[in-house]
Amino acid sequence: MFTRHVSRQLAAHIDGELAQPRARQVELHAAQCAQCRAEREQVRFGMEILDRLPPVEAPDAIWVSIEAALREQRSRKTFETWAVRRWRWAFAATAVCVLLGAAHWSVAHRSATRWDVVRIDGSPTVIRAGKWIETDSASSATVKIGNIGSVEVAPNTRLRVVTARPGEHRLALARGEIRAKISAPPRLFFVETVSGTAVDLGCEYTLNTDEAGFGLLQVTRGWVSFQWQGIESLVPAGASCRIRPNVGPGIPYFDDASENMKQALENFGSEKAGDVALNVILAEARVRDTLTLWHLLSRVEAEDRARVYDRIASLTPVPAGVSRREALKLDAETLRRLKEELAWTW
Amino acid sequence: MLRLKMLRLKMPQLKMLRLGITACAVGALALAEGFTFTIGNPVASQEFQMKTAAFVFRTNGCAEPAASQISATAEGLVKGARQSVVLKVKAAAKPGVYAVFQSWPAEGDWVVSLRGVCASESAGAIVPIGPKGFIRESAKFFPRPATSAEIEASLKALAQSGNKGENK
Repeated sequence: MFTRHVSRQLAAHIDGELAQPRARQVELHAAQCAQCRAEREQVRFGMEILDRLPPVEAPDAIWVSIEAALREQRSRKTFETWAVRRWRWAFAATAVCVLLGAAHWSVAHRSATRWDVVRIDGSPTVIRAGKWIETDSASSATVKIGNIGSVEVAPNTRLRVVTARPGEHRLALARGEIRAKISAPPRLFFVETVSGTAVDLGCEYTLNTDEAGFGLLQVTRGWVSFQWQGIESLVPAGASCRIRPNVGPGIPYFDDASENMKQALENFGSEKAGDVALNVILAEARVRDTLTLWHLLSRVEAEDRARVYDRIASLTPVPAGVSRREALKLDAETLRRLKEELAWTW
Repeated sequence: MLRLKMLRLKMPQLKMLRLGITACAVGALALAEGFTFTIGNPVASQEFQMKTAAFVFRTNGCAEPAASQISATAEGLVKGARQSVVLKVKAAAKPGVYAVFQSWPAEGDWVVSLRGVCASESAGAIVPIGPKGFIRESAKFFPRPATSAEIEASLKALAQSGNKGENK
């Protein structure tokens, strides 16, 4: 490497504590050094996790033992050598650190996996043993999900806790509506429905479904991925997506899209209205509706794909390195690059 | 005949040369665009940590984005009084991508003034903030930092519009 690695400065850099010239050196180095970039992400992630950990008080027993050790040390002071004192202090400090760490881990681990109903309006049924939460027409609840966020459970909702562990929080929404606010790295929080699974990519969203699996996903912050048997809809803030049983998630659209476009998306996929619907979608699309068009690329038949791609290209410049031919072949890397560029208009 | 054979032997090298020339031409065109900003919704950064940002932006036409100097201030008009708040701009993992988080008061009319320097080039932008987020269609971009008069004009226009805009 042409310069020294910057591992030791990463925490201070993320906290904005480095002076401007040093901060720039760190940025320059990180831009060229994959190892330091990876370390920076790890440090950033670790610091965010630390921010969320609750403070823990040391058990009283620790202070009693420290005081006793100090008293004893004072009485024997004249007989002890400097080396013995140093080792005793080191031992006491180590013991305190180990105990504090254990207590901290215990609390953090417990809170990371615990589900608590923290607010109840009306009289919802909360069956802990079966992990079911059910609200009637006059009740609602708020459920705290470990230490990563919360879920508001609307009236007439039936919800089950499937998994609750630090690396995975999974709910099953049988019917009704939930509003999730998650502040965790992507792919830690999942909500299963009859029609597929909502995967949190760092977000806030509302999801409703009936018992048959018909419903709507509306995202207010971040991204949500809705998946069913290999079909995926990526829904960013300000957009929605219909969910339907046995056919996978609908095409996402921005909530401020034209009513004609929304209606056409409802009809899209049916044999009678398919072609007409596609014409309406292409005609009504604005620049930010490339969200919808990008999803259509992989949902339309091959003969219509070129029309969709060309409509995208007419609305906004296609980035360098994205080839029309590869996009029409649905090359995954090409589509990813196209999506990342289009996202600047969403 | 011999020359033709040599030419055939060198075809792969010639292809490489052609590719290199094309790449240089594309690079030169990109640089010719000049140093500018693009603004976007937080999702454009592709980082979950940025989801609560007021908006994100990136630099264009800067050969060394990590070496660019970026700063931002929120300029506001609260109950007729001008206010200015220096903002902390958070760099994303991808070089040249930054996030602006709201640290200005909710009350009043506000625009965010972005300033950047890349090598010998400068760029500026004024991004009006509405009740539902930044107002993309009213944002203004300059090949230099925005002047005080331009900031005042944007604030005035925002106040006169009733501050009803939203990100579109």
